[in-house]
This record gives sequence, structure tokens and C-alpha cells, in this order.
Amino acid sequence: MPNKQRVEVRVNGTRYVREVEPRLTLADFLRHELNLGGTHVGCEHGICGACTVLVDERSARACLTLAVQADGCGITTVEGLRDPSSGALHPIQQAFVDGHGLQCGFCTPGFMMTTLELLRCTPDPSEEQIKEALGGNLCRCTGYQSILDSVKLAAQRMKPSTPA
Amino acid sequence: MAIEIPTLPEQMPNDASRYVGKAVNRVEDPALVSGTVEFIDNFSLPGMLHCAILRSPHPHARILSVKVDAALAAEGVAAVLTGEDVGRWCNPCFTAPEGWGNYCLAVGKVRFVGEPVVAVAASSRYLAEDALELVDIEYELLPPVADAGQAMASGAPLVFEERGTNVMLDRTYTWGELERVFAEADRVVSRRFRWNRVGANPTETFGCVCRWDLADNSLVCHGAYQTPRFMAIGRAASLNLPVNRVRIVTHPQGGGFGGKGGPRGTDIAALLSRKSGGRPVKYIEDRMEYLLAGGGQSWDRHYDAALAVKADGTVTGFRVRLVDDQGAGAEGYGTISAAKPLAAFTGNYRIEAAGYELTLVATNRAPTYPYRGYGPPPHNLVLESLMDCTAREMGIDPAELRRRNYIRPEQFPYTVPSGNEYDSGDYHAVLDRVLQMADYDALRAFQAEARAAGRLVGIGVVNTVEPGVFDWNAYATVGVPGVGVPEGVKVAVDLFGGVTVAVGFSLQGQGQFTVASQVAADYFGIDIAQVRVATTPSDVAVPHFGQGGSRLGVAVTGAILGACEKLRAMFCTVAAHVMQAPEGGVELRNGCLRRIDAPEHSMSLAEIAGLMLSRSDLLPPGIEPCPEATYVWTAPNRNAPDDQGRCRSYLTAANATHVAVIEIDRDTGRSAILDYFIVDDCGTRLNPANVEGQLQGGVAQGVGAALYEEYVYDADCQPLVSTFVDYLMPTIHEVPMTKKDHIVTPSPVSPLGAKGCGEGAIHTTPATILCAINDALAPLGKELLETPASPHRVWKLLHEDGAAA
Repeated sequence: MPNKQRVEVRVNGTRYVREVEPRLTLADFLRHELNLGGTHVGCEHGICGACTVLVDERSARACLTLAVQADGCGITTVEGLRDPSSGALHPIQQAFVDGHGLQCGFCTPGFMMTTLELLRCTPDPSEEQIKEALGGNLCRCTGYQSILDSVKLAAQRMKPSTPA
Repeated sequence: MAIEIPTLPEQMPNDASRYVGKAVNRVEDPALVSGTVEFIDNFSLPGMLHCAILRSPHPHARILSVKVDAALAAEGVAAVLTGEDVGRWCNPCFTAPEGWGNYCLAVGKVRFVGEPVVAVAASSRYLAEDALELVDIEYELLPPVADAGQAMASGAPLVFEERGTNVMLDRTYTWGELERVFAEADRVVSRRFRWNRVGANPTETFGCVCRWDLADNSLVCHGAYQTPRFMAIGRAASLNLPVNRVRIVTHPQGGGFGGKGGPRGTDIAALLSRKSGGRPVKYIEDRMEYLLAGGGQSWDRHYDAALAVKADGTVTGFRVRLVDDQGAGAEGYGTISAAKPLAAFTGNYRIEAAGYELTLVATNRAPTYPYRGYGPPPHNLVLESLMDCTAREMGIDPAELRRRNYIRPEQFPYTVPSGNEYDSGDYHAVLDRVLQMADYDALRAFQAEARAAGRLVGIGVVNTVEPGVFDWNAYATVGVPGVGVPEGVKVAVDLFGGVTVAVGFSLQGQGQFTVASQVAADYFGIDIAQVRVATTPSDVAVPHFGQGGSRLGVAVTGAILGACEKLRAMFCTVAAHVMQAPEGGVELRNGCLRRIDAPEHSMSLAEIAGLMLSRSDLLPPGIEPCPEATYVWTAPNRNAPDDQGRCRSYLTAANATHVAVIEIDRDTGRSAILDYFIVDDCGTRLNPANVEGQLQGGVAQGVGAALYEEYVYDADCQPLVSTFVDYLMPTIHEVPMTKKDHIVTPSPVSPLGAKGCGEGAIHTTPATILCAINDALAPLGKELLETPASPHRVWKLLHEDGAAA
């Protein structure tokens, strides 16, 4: 058995400390050690983007990241999107629902985490900027049109209100 | 009691639909966007083991010895499964045609790269994979059958020695006076086509958790199952269990598209559970396993086809010879995809005679499985490309040639030569609408300008008929027996007037839970939030099939309406009794049971259900205290096929016309889709947003098949595709944001007039793109008749003469 290493992370605001094998991926760590199953695994080789999470505010493939690499980091997963006190959906989640931006929903957490990063950095993205941001996420169901519309809807709803 | 299923939304017992026909938000979505849905890898049982599978590196080899002692002794390992166990305990899987099945794990020899050979159950997946490295297998290599041509050559090695041949099925169908129409034709347009393997690739691969109860000799399988009861019957057959001792619990699935696989993984996990004393065993297929050998390879086809055409452009005959490489056996029912084109063999046209020579062969490629569309996408590509070739040869506009040959609106119901009956449609109206939306004349003018400037711009105008609501009779020609596909539900009204619809399937993405909720809510005049749709395990669910063949939206609607009609009759009887109205004097309207002669006297659903459950003393004689009803729907008026495979198979015939504008880059061979237009007619749109999603998703898969996706095998039958770096799935950059419109011709024969609509776009898009590409290539005198029209393949064609074209 390989030596275990200590990993301390803060996921969606909660602190976790675990002893893990160095080879454990961040995706398996989140899903099976912390029981945060919303981060899905579609290819395990970094192409499909289903497992996208934010590590210190930047999007990362949880399947290509080792849990030990995330030691000391703050991580946001899809479970961190809903308002913890009211349970209300995050505007991005609500926009995906209203825009029919999903079908099977398996890739959706990855798309939403990518969108979260996009809209934090680029609150008013052009269509080309949205496509550029989402170009690393595969969806086999929707054909992307409703995803594009959902992201536009989210951007519109999240835009800081401009003075009249 | 004869049950009348409403064939239009207006026939429901309400004054106006609140939900049916509207793009209501999906009831599935709040949980899906929250990440709380129990996909199979989010499900665990106490004491659960994890399975890893060692797979064959050879396409064809005899297994001389298998040594697993070291693996069995490895850390965390509870059980190791080998071919010896499987040969002793199992049967090869059932196939159609019969007798071309493998065991779940290779017994004696391996027939394709990726075939399971040894499986391990250990306390973690990591440890199970470690243990696989300690397994020692000695192979004797056999010459592989690398492709269909080799399979049919005399003296070829045999994939299944006991069969004595690699040809699974060789049949010729003749419908109408085929020889005469070809003899009398003014022109025969023929071409050879090659459609290379593509496949489903849902974002979630297959997974399951199986537990074999050794005391009870029963099996429970949780998993990503598209067709639960069918899966239960198959497991009973392969694992030698009574069907009523197999329970399939289907979980929400991250897509399916037919190509989810499942039987092999389930049987392996089940047997590992049996070997480890009944501990639950989880198997999660990884993407490399899926790409190499999962249920995701389809349609490996060689076509020779011809149209018989009269001088005025009337197409009178369509002849197709298909050699279909099924891979190493028929375990995945890939054979059915060669039979399905019978349901709409001659497309939108009044072609009077047709012929189909069908040869299905086994090779050492991975076995083929269903994929969305299930056969027609390549078939339509052949037919529609020949229509374009004809138009080019005759100097007729391709849209005009099609229009001249359309089945006319007054001809429905229309029986096609291959036997199926189209229920309704107006192909001229669909074509007119899409040409208008695309401003077709302006597009042709733009193309002329672009060509004058040396650009390679092409336009594809392609129409197809989508057979919707499959029936088993459609597949009788490849050995699947049966007429009818039961889809059942139970509808229950609770004490508080809530309605629960119990179904036999789970979420897969098409939004059927939403459609079910819309229909039940409208029928009973309640808020959609008062309806709950719940999945039932296969052994206790009413007969069902699940997703497949553009069927479930229509079928589950029919089943719910049937159950609701039963409840209405029962509730009216109870209400009449307690309200002291004459027999037949109460009606259901807008969710109330009211006296027809005095509508101010009424009872709510909750009052009726509560009374039935708690006041048996008030019930009329013969009424059970059970405000629940089951109904099992199947398409009406289906029949058994004749000796040429002809029958009324698919219930509905939706149709669509797509227009694509494509420009080929001479330097790279890349085809850019400049614009894309769709007009379709799938009858009543139960949830228009769902329909649009099905269309656009089908376009994306069609783009992949036409331009990028391909399972490549080398000359030694080694797969060259094992990751998404090799198998190119379309991203947001490759898929056109289509412009869509529709017309509505309600089906006269289906519940609420809805037609199957899950596959029409993938039926149409590959042909549309290839026709556009060939239109772009036409000035060069070149044709591409092979898919995918990848940049590499197009570039080679452009540069085959040595210089840049």
C-alpha cells in the first residue's frame, strides 16, 4: 500500500481533512471520500469536462488533478451553487432550468462550473466568448444551442444593475 | 371495457390545456442542476466491492491458459472470475439472428480487442485494477477477420467456428415490380457508399451494482438501464435464473442513445457477487473500455445502390445492396439496424418498387450495438445522395426533384413498398416553409457568387421520414419475434388529491417524466407540482419497455391516458353513487366530479380518493377501495410481417427537411457549416422545448457522424480509437446553431396526435451535410461517398490529382 498523505481542503466552505493515497484523483476524492457526487466523471482523460470544478476560483479537471495537489486549496463544486440558507438555485442553475439547457444532466455540473468562472471574469460575454469558454466541455444531448441560450440568460440576470 | 384514448389535446376533460403543448420547465431539472440525482456511480451498498476487467489485447486468439493465483492473493481482492466459471454457470447471450452470441467473459477464445477475459472484485477500484496486473494469460494468436470483405472471402478464418461461416444473414427482399421499373427506366443512377463506424457515446458510461442473494438464489441489479424488463429477461437467460428472481432497478442515466451496453458488465458483476459470497459488486465502465468494446459502435456499412428514374424526373425504383459488418457477434442487436430501414425504405417519395439485398457478416471488430436512429441515418444518406446525383445529372434543382416525387397530402395513410403505413404528413408544406425560411433563391445566388470567386460552397436540401413508435414486428426479418411493445403505467390518486404515475423506466434525458406530468396534470386539472412520477423495479412494474425507437413520449402518454380513463369511469361511478345522481349522471371536468344536471354539486379528486380509501361503507357495490388504475399501451392495428418483411410497424411518420450551407477550405479540407435550417412536422408537440432539444441534439450527433466521428481499425483489426482524443465528439464550435420552424399535422392514430421525434434529426443531418459537401465539390467533378467527410478525407480527395484543386 502506497504511503498515505494528508490532504486538507475547504470545499464549498466546509473544511475536510483526510489521509489519502497520492494516486487518488480529485474527482474520486470529492465523489467517494467526501460524498459530493455532483461532480460527474465522463472520460477520465480530460476531454469531456464533466468533472470541472473550481480550485481556488479557477476551473480544473477533477479527473486530471490529484487530491494531494489540491491540499490547502479552496474548491467549489456544483453542490456549492445553491444558496445554503434558502436553498434557492443559483442564477446559473435557474437559467439552465429556464433555458432547457440540459437533457440528461450528466455534463451539466461541468458546464455550470465553467460558466461560473466565465461570468466572474467576463460578466457581459459575447457569444464568441461564451463559445470559447465552453469549447472544452462535451454535451452529447443538447447540441449546445440551449446551453448557449442558458449562459446568455444567466449573464443577463447576473449583470450588476447599471445606474439609470 | 373499451378504453378510448384521446387523439387530440382538446379531447381531454378540461376547458383548456395548462401544460400539454407548452414549453413548461422540466420536472427533472432542479435535481439535475443541483447534482443530487442518483446516477449509478453515486449509489453504494454496505460492504460493496469494486470490479475491474482485464480485456483482450488481441482481435482473435485462443486462450491457452489463465493464471489468477497471484491476483487472488493480492490486497483487497475478494473474487476473481474467469472463463472457466462463466462456461460452467452461464449461457451465451441471446441474439437475433440466433446463435451468434458470446459469453459475458471469453470462454476458450477471444473474438475482439477489448473482450473481457478476467474480472476481479476488490475493496476498491484502484486495488482491483492493481490485481489485474498480476493475471497471466497465454494466447495463441489466430488470423483475424479484419473487415466485411475478408469475412465473405472463401477460406476466411471463422469468428464463430461452430457456425461454419461468417455470414449471419443473407436475404433479398423484392417489393413491387423491381426488374420492370429498372428495365423501363430512362436513367439509372448508381453509386457505392461507405459509412464507417460511429457510435452513441453518452457522457455517462455504463455502470451497475449487483447483488446475488445466495440464500434466496435471486439477483438485484441497480444500474444505468435503458430497458429494464428486457434486461431482466436477458440476465435470467444468461445467468440461469428464473425471471422472477431477477430485479432490475434502473437509475437515472447520463444519456443513452441506445448505446449504453449493459448485459456483459451486469453479468460479470453479478457473478463476482456470487463468487464473493453475495457481497454487492459495483462495475463502472470507463471511457476507454466504452470506446474499445462498450455498447457504442454502430453501422459499419458498404452500400451499392441505384435509382430508376424516368425522363421527367419521376423516381420509380430504389435498389440497395448492403453488406453490414456486425463485428464479433450479434450480442448488441446491431442487426436490427439493418432491418429498421424497411419502415421508411423509400423516404418521402412515391417510389413504386424497391429491393434490398442484405448481408450481415461477423468480423473481429467489436460487436455493434444500437445507436440513435438505429439504421436509417446511413440508409437515408444513400437515398438522398442518389437523389442529388440524379438532380445533378438531369440539371434539375435538387429541391424541385424531391418535390416532384413526394407523397401527396391526400395520399395518406400511405403504404410504402416495404410495407409500413405512414399515418399523415404534408411534405410539400414542409419543403416550402424551409426554402422560404432559408431564402433558398438568395442562397443559390450567394453560392454562384462564391463559386465565381473560387470558393467551394455547397447547399444540401434533404428530407426524411422518421418512423416513430417502434414495434417489434419491424425487426422480425432479423429474427426478433413479436408484435406490440407494451408500455405500462400505474396512476394512483392519494388522499390529498396528489397523483403518482409509476413507470418502468428512469430518466435518460428526453424529458419523459415532464411529459408524463404534463399529461396527468392536464387530465385531472391539477397543478403539475401535484404529480409525481416514480420509477418501479422491473419485477413489480407493470409490463414496460422503456426508451427506444422514438416511442416513449407517445407510448407513455397513451398509457397514462388509458389509466386516467379507467379512473375517470371509476370515480364517476363512485361520485354518482354518493351524490345520488343517476347512473352516468356525473362527469369529470377540470379536476372535479360534477353532476351533469347540477354542476354546482361536485366532488374533488381528494374527496373521491379519500372516500374510497376510508369509507368502504359508502362505496357502490362492485367498487374496490382502490383509487388506482394500470394501463398498458401498445400501438393499435399492428400486424405480423409477410414473407417479404412487410407489415404496419412504426405507428407514426414524422418528417423534416433540412437545408445546410457548407464551405470547404481547400487548404485544410475542413467543412464549415455556414448556416443550417430545419422545418419538421412531428404532429402535436407535447412539450415544444423538449422537441427542439431532440432536434438540436440529433443535429449535433449527425454533424459528428458526417464530419468527425469514426471508429478506426487497422489492417490487423486493432482499434486505433480508445480516447476522446481519437474519437472526435463535436463541441460547441462544430455544431451549427440551427434556425428552426415547424408545421403540425397531428397523427390521426396516436395519443394526442403526437409523433415520435427523437431520431428525425440524426436521420437527416448526415445526408444533408454530405449532399452539401458534394454540391460544393461538383464544379471540380469530384464526389465523396464515404463518411465521415473528415478534413483529412476531403483534403485527400481535393489533392488526389497531385496539385491543389
